[in-house]
Amino acid sequence: MDFRWTEEQELLIQSLEELLQREAPETLMAELDARHEFPFKPWQALADNGILALGIPEEYGGVPADITTLTLVCETLGKYALPLGIIYSLGIITIRDIIQFGSEEIKAEVLGGFVRGDLPVALGITEPQAGSDAAAMKATAQIDGDDVIFNGQKMYCTLAKIAKYILLMTRDSQGANPYASISMWLLPTDTPGLRFNILNKVGWWTVPTYEVFIENARVPRKNLVGQFNSGWPQLMANFEIERLALCAASVGAAEAALEDSLSYANRRVQFGNPIGSYQAVQHILTDMAIKNENMRNYIYKVAWMMDQGQSVRHEHAMCKLYVARAACEVTDSAVQIMGGLGYMMDHRVQRLWRDIRLMRIGGGTDEIMYNIAGPQLLKHARKS
Amino acid sequence: MKIVVCAKLAPDASDIEIRSDGSISLERAEWRIGSFDLQAIEAAVRLRDTHSGSVTALSVGPQRINHSKLRKDLLSRGPDELVLVTEDALNGADTAVTAQVLAAAVRKIGSVDLVLTGEGSADLYFQQVGLQLGELLAVPVFNAVSKIEVNGSTVRIERSLEEEIEVLELPLPAVLAVTTDIHQPRLPNMKEILLAAKKPVFEWSLADLELENAPESRVEAVSLRAPRPVERKRILIEGSPEEAAQALTGYLVKEGLA
Repeated sequence: MDFRWTEEQELLIQSLEELLQREAPETLMAELDARHEFPFKPWQALADNGILALGIPEEYGGVPADITTLTLVCETLGKYALPLGIIYSLGIITIRDIIQFGSEEIKAEVLGGFVRGDLPVALGITEPQAGSDAAAMKATAQIDGDDVIFNGQKMYCTLAKIAKYILLMTRDSQGANPYASISMWLLPTDTPGLRFNILNKVGWWTVPTYEVFIENARVPRKNLVGQFNSGWPQLMANFEIERLALCAASVGAAEAALEDSLSYANRRVQFGNPIGSYQAVQHILTDMAIKNENMRNYIYKVAWMMDQGQSVRHEHAMCKLYVARAACEVTDSAVQIMGGLGYMMDHRVQRLWRDIRLMRIGGGTDEIMYNIAGPQLLKHARKS
Repeated sequence: MKIVVCAKLAPDASDIEIRSDGSISLERAEWRIGSFDLQAIEAAVRLRDTHSGSVTALSVGPQRINHSKLRKDLLSRGPDELVLVTEDALNGADTAVTAQVLAAAVRKIGSVDLVLTGEGSADLYFQQVGLQLGELLAVPVFNAVSKIEVNGSTVRIERSLEEEIEVLELPLPAVLAVTTDIHQPRLPNMKEILLAAKKPVFEWSLADLELENAPESRVEAVSLRAPRPVERKRILIEGSPEEAAQALTGYLVKEGLA
């Protein structure tokens, strides 16, 4: 078993680390968070240095990269500038859907723009009555000659207003089987008939999330992505990599939390000694390090399996479940190690703690991950 | 134009370990391109991009520098090819030896218009090699160069001196040691990293060079020790600004620092 990265991966990650220290230093990320501002400049720096080109087909300006390399990139983004890791991870599913199912015209426009620094395409799936039960969506697409007219309401649509496009999921109300009645569309966010309401969140302050009201929004029919009524399987095709990417960003954040904790435990003197000299603190730190190591091994294993073309149907769900929880535990421990300072808005760990909490909900809740993994495990057991 | 840029590959200072007796261990240190040489590489690549021609990266040192990751790292930053002169006898070479070997390599490369170096090596920082190299090649040589403009067969340079900017025009070929503020080095992207593996690398030994005499180090390293850590004195100076300044001066004089 070879745990080493390739030389190319090592050089890429070294370069990315230096880029993030230059363009997305902690002071800047803290300021942007306090002001609830999107990191436009650091995002553009990622584009200018070819990070957004990774995994995009070469004909659209991209550079080949396997899933393991993308995982390492997400992990590094998560460690140095978690919001960038989140934005990049959210983009993976929509951008991959465009790569796989978009028309040539859509691919040239969206992928070329993304490589040059456009924000990822936002995903419009959740609705007020359709969360984990996404197939219960009601947003409609009515064909009108060469156009299509959308109506409905989307919830928790991250980046929707500031992105150029939403990858909109609509439901054909006539279809008996909801999973065979969903279509995927590319909806420009400047289309008349769209209204955005920003939502206040506990974390992710630099990554805005919106409620989107869609009233008679008309776009050309050619904005259909893939096949009519095939939106559900198309979406599912790339959920696994999105979840892996979110996991990788979470692992990066947990590594940052551990580094801050170790540094603090060595510095902070209480009762005449650094707090790291006390076993109670050492135990917490060791547990954090073990969780980080386990998380890292899990994401690399799933990435490797995906690169080998193996199914990760239940593995990716178990990985997401474990990593989201463990990263929450590690960032929570970091707040605990740092005591009062950890709870202050001046320090990074509170931000990691707030931002990571959403990982147990976004991209599929813990409970949905159980629902995916459990039946698959039983199915495999019946086969063997 | 044909540009050669010299880069030292050396252990990363942040990986240095200090043993309990104060001696220094480099065993676990990762070797990297000298941080001051990255600016020279950037300057060379920008000149090539403006005036066309080619950039050859040149490094001399022990066999250890002939490592595929180091080669890719160098070439991913823009040079068209790499020349490595490796010989374990060059481990810890002093500035005179390094300059002699570099000069012989530049002669062997041939028809070079411009040689660039960093302002000093990242590990020893003697700031001597560039100047000695120019002398050995018998061409104009300057350090502290913060701007380079090539005009045909001449080069106009700016030198950042303590209180002034000196502007000079020199004939080519020349050797220039650049400052750290000449350009911010680029960060290689994946495309450049992948491309680096396909660029030519020439591996030479000392025997491949026309050296009049086998270079011998004139410096003998007697010992290398990290400074002994000293407990902070934690002196708190109180009083008016005048009193505090006087007290501070007194402490500095007492410590032999003023």
